[in-house]
Amino acid sequence: MADFDIASKERDGMGPHGTNVGLLRVLGPAHVWALGVGIVLVGEYMGWNFAVGKGGAYAALVACWFAGILYTCVAMIDSEVTSTVAAAGGQYTQAKHIVGPLMAFNVGLYLVFAYTMLEAANAITAGYLISEVARLSGFEGTLDQRPFIILSIMFLAWLNYRGVLATLTFNLVITAIAFTAIIILFLSTTGIVGTSIMQHADLMSGSAALPYGWIGVLAAMHFGLWYYLGIEGTTQAAEEVRSPARALPFGTLAGIMTLLIAATLTWYVCTGLIPWEFLGDGLNGSVAPLFTAALLTNSQPLVWLLGVGTLFATLASANGCINDASRAWFSLGRDKYLPGWFGAVHPTFRTPYRSIVFLVPIALAFALKAPLDQVVTFSILSGLLNYTFMPLNMIMFRKKWPMGSITRGYEHPFHPLPSIVLLLLCAITFFAVFLGYGTQLVAMIAFYIVASLWFHFWRYRFVNRASQFTMPWPRPKGY
Amino acid sequence: MSIWNYAEYAAWALSAVFGLYMVIDWLKTDSTYSEEVLTSSREGELEAMTEAQGGHHG
Amino acid sequence: MAHYVAPKQGKLSQLFDVVVLMALTFGALYIPMFLGLAGGVKTVPEGAGQTWEAMGQNAAQIAQYNALGFTDPAAVSDIINARYDYSFSMTALLVMVVIIVAYYVLMLKFSETEYREVIAEKFDK
Repeated sequence: MADFDIASKERDGMGPHGTNVGLLRVLGPAHVWALGVGIVLVGEYMGWNFAVGKGGAYAALVACWFAGILYTCVAMIDSEVTSTVAAAGGQYTQAKHIVGPLMAFNVGLYLVFAYTMLEAANAITAGYLISEVARLSGFEGTLDQRPFIILSIMFLAWLNYRGVLATLTFNLVITAIAFTAIIILFLSTTGIVGTSIMQHADLMSGSAALPYGWIGVLAAMHFGLWYYLGIEGTTQAAEEVRSPARALPFGTLAGIMTLLIAATLTWYVCTGLIPWEFLGDGLNGSVAPLFTAALLTNSQPLVWLLGVGTLFATLASANGCINDASRAWFSLGRDKYLPGWFGAVHPTFRTPYRSIVFLVPIALAFALKAPLDQVVTFSILSGLLNYTFMPLNMIMFRKKWPMGSITRGYEHPFHPLPSIVLLLLCAITFFAVFLGYGTQLVAMIAFYIVASLWFHFWRYRFVNRASQFTMPWPRPKGY
Repeated sequence: MSIWNYAEYAAWALSAVFGLYMVIDWLKTDSTYSEEVLTSSREGELEAMTEAQGGHHG
Repeated sequence: MAHYVAPKQGKLSQLFDVVVLMALTFGALYIPMFLGLAGGVKTVPEGAGQTWEAMGQNAAQIAQYNALGFTDPAAVSDIINARYDYSFSMTALLVMVVIIVAYYVLMLKFSETEYREVIAEKFDK
């Protein structure tokens, strides 16, 4: 049976001859939390501080909280849809069932690019960090960062290749350590334990308050996303958690709460210790702001703790990115949106091994050849396009399957308010990106338009129609 | 040579080991199993299973 | 409606599709960079001050720079003086809005056509 029809009522969802090699359902809610927070937490260790450079310290706080609202909407919407559409691919699979194939293809690409670029950025940071450690330990020459960049990607890809349970358990441990490091730094510098060394009033006085005025606050939104970018990746685990309807909403919502706390604490500690111009320059000034803050405490244990925290955060993030990007790529392949060859699962390890291996050289190409801020912007833009899709998706979801017509694992409150707020915040962020990186934005959308035309007029012919719709739902209202 | 020079070589070597492991295992897997088995994963299996429990065996 | 049977794609054609997609991806990232259009650059205004006083730094800020190992203000003057330029033209903004909206409209329209076909085949038995 070469051409197997999944849509057949008799054998819905089963592989040929019952020889089913699928992904393994082994994860619990803690793994979902580790996947979501693990990808994002690196954002507190590096990158968010560009928002300070864009508009000053207060602007970064406003951006932190507005982006927090944006992501709370994302988490709520995502939790509802994904607790109902429990399949690898996350938003891609949601789009396929709710909006349509072309949208799904685009969403799949957003996911793969957002995560692969973020993975490359993480590897660059890990390489930089190791060279810093070498410099601080008195190494005379210039350390070649390339072997360390390659090693971090190779090791994590290998871990992912070998199985999802070990991969995400590893993530759980290192993410917990990195999060604890932030809490300890906060406790020991702000006067809760010992004396406070915070100097917000002096460091943020005069022109340092809002150096660009209100447009700076808008511009800061661009990098405000960095505090939370990637939390939506929890949905990629949908096919590997034991109880998706419960674990996904729980892990995702616990994740966004963790991040809101971590982001605010990070902002508070860093702006209370580092002058904004230095903090806001993530290339020549403070590359890893929490580490810089630890240096200013004059406490050797804190410097070590935050150094380890930074390294663990980058590894946890790259690890989660490999997991998510390969799940999305795999799902595209499984549905023949991309060559079906990628839709293979390893018979022993039960991982999408071909997708994992294929994405390694791509991540390496960007990590070794492209500058960090361009890679980050590519990632943020793909994420932003994804967040813009989400409210459209949600509104259509509630319209096509009204409440009560299907079982939802979680129902988010105040619909359609979160969708409208999310759409509004996305528009503001598009404007913020336009202020600094308008050309990249246009290039990116041009890319997606060309790719869409390619998909619609060429690639879609290889996709079986009805078999894409795999959820046991009734016919959508109005179709 | 400093310890960091050795660390560089160690990183290159370890990268090669992890890379080779994946490539060799991948080729071995592809030649051991048929393409049909490898790509037999289907979306929505959980839903199919829950339905099957309620009624008949799929 | 008629049941659509997708053609089986050969190995070579699969490979070609991947190459096309990768070429597009690398193009989107590198073309703006090669053309020198990639933005996001800060510039240091000409004649900007080089001393702590001229750069408007107060005692607390100077102390933190000293603690970071910068006792010479000239070493960090580029970091302190650099500013973004947020001026933009209304035309450029309008062009961007049109492109984004057009992209989503195009996508939703094509998706809708394809989606109706999927639903018809799945539920019209």
